Amino acid sequence: MKRLIRLRVNGEPVETAVPANRTLLELLRDDLGLTGAKEGCGEGDCGACTVLLDGLPVSSCLVLALQAEGREVLTVEGLAQDGQLDLLQQAFVEEGGVQCGFCTPGMLLAAKSLLDAKPNPSEAEIRAAISGNLCRCTGYQKIVESVRRAADLRRAARRGP
Amino acid sequence: MRLPMFEYAEAKSAAEACGMLADAGPDAALIAGGTDLLVRMKRGLERPARVVSIRRLRGGLPAVARDGARLALHPLATMAELAADPLLEHACGNVAAGARAVGSPLVRNLATLGGNLASARPCADTAPPLLSWDARVRLQSASGEHSVPLDDFFTGPGASALRRDELLTAVEIELPAGSSGSAFLKLGQRAALEIAIASAAVRLTLDRPGGTILAARVALGSVAPVPLRARAAEDLLLGRVPNEDLIREAGEAAAREARPIDDLRASAAYRREMVAVLVRRALTAALERAGGGR
Ligand SMILES: Cc1cc2nc3c(=O)[nH]c(=O)nc-3n(C[C@H](O)[C@H](O)[C@H](O)COP(=O)(O)OP(=O)(O)OC[C@H]3O[C@@H](n4cnc5c(N)ncnc54)[C@H](O)[C@@H]3O)c2cc1C
Ligand code: FES
Ligand code: FES
Repeated sequence: MKRLIRLRVNGEPVETAVPANRTLLELLRDDLGLTGAKEGCGEGDCGACTVLLDGLPVSSCLVLALQAEGREVLTVEGLAQDGQLDLLQQAFVEEGGVQCGFCTPGMLLAAKSLLDAKPNPSEAEIRAAISGNLCRCTGYQKIVESVRRAADLRRAARRGP
Repeated sequence: MRLPMFEYAEAKSAAEACGMLADAGPDAALIAGGTDLLVRMKRGLERPARVVSIRRLRGGLPAVARDGARLALHPLATMAELAADPLLEHACGNVAAGARAVGSPLVRNLATLGGNLASARPCADTAPPLLSWDARVRLQSASGEHSVPLDDFFTGPGASALRRDELLTAVEIELPAGSSGSAFLKLGQRAALEIAIASAAVRLTLDRPGGTILAARVALGSVAPVPLRARAAEDLLLGRVPNEDLIREAGEAAAREARPIDDLRASAAYRREMVAVLVRRALTAALERAGGGR
């Protein structure tokens, strides 16, 4: 038994029929083909499935698609605009914040929600913001530096050339 | 990991949710944030035929409302909201600290207060702080509403006074007169995504800054089948002017009252020793916040 839901994904309206047991992560990956969010643990422990739900980072493996009805979802696919990387993505590339890439979509979205609320976060604030996102490759240092750099790039961009 | 199939319904009011629970019988489950229920369903520990969502019951209501000395916490308030709530931080700082200690930011943006209490885990991080303020929970079913002291609510690991057809509709605190300070400390192997090895929440109310203790509460997490009040420790503190020795004795009394078990996180003996340390440190912090020791 499926139900029709409406939501916005990366700014676009989406209308789709989902069974009750579909998670938001499955809706994004299997139904909409947005495979940026990953399934690591499926139980809220790793953050690989992080998306922004109404602007806040959540584990999409623990959200029913039906509970996302009427809400706004942002995935990593929604970050780049017109083929241009978002400043956060650019910073991760420049600072070497990406190794295998499995955690990266989640890291980017957790960091985005931090920077949207706090344009100039301390290192402790950055580490707290990504504390639900596990990375098995980088040892976190490069990720923290990437977020730091993104904060600088964003503020520079705001000030203009 | 796939979820088993179930029927889903969304309630638009508390009354409607109660009606849905009554109609659906024993095979129904409420879902709020889903961080506990969905994990249990994925692991096959729970298999409800019908899931009733209460996410729309919040309406525009605030996470925390204050009316004179009465504080009302909304059951659908998320841990992230409680952690950042200035009213709560000011009035009952250790409850905000408990919310801040839950899981990770990704979990706190989903996890609700009602779900934390209703799941009734001995490690539920908001339970000891709320016990320290003599909080009460309001329970509603199709046949009426009643209020229960949180201290009588927990009955065992995963078990509570909440009936299958009942909804937890509010958490209420009557703020005491006098000068109060509180603290919550959680011991884990790491700072995030950690279930408590042991935790302690305390609240001290002094008759005046630097004065005698009018009320003392010491509540423990993860060291008994339920979040536990350490009454012998509380009795020791009552009516005294606190000092370092008294605080140490209270910590030791609390450790004797703990009923910990050995599990993969820690041994019972280690937990018991840590209770003494956590309670001592929490009391020291709470006393300073209450304006004591001057
Ligand atoms: C990765 C991870 C880490 C975690 N870490 C912690 C931690 O550090 N500390 C901690 O305390 N918890 C932790 N939890 C457990 C969980 O997140 C919390 O207990 C959370 O507060 C549960 O709330 P929820 O809204 O998600 O509950 P749900 O999953 O929606 O519900 C849980 C149970 O409560 C019932 N329920 C919910 N709301 C009500 C209501 N208003 N009335 C009656 N019944 C209700 C549901 O029917 C269900 O049985 C963690 C969970 C995960 C996945
Ligand atoms: S897959 Fe969702 S948190 Fe790990
Ligand atoms: S880059 Fe491989 S897990 Fe983080």
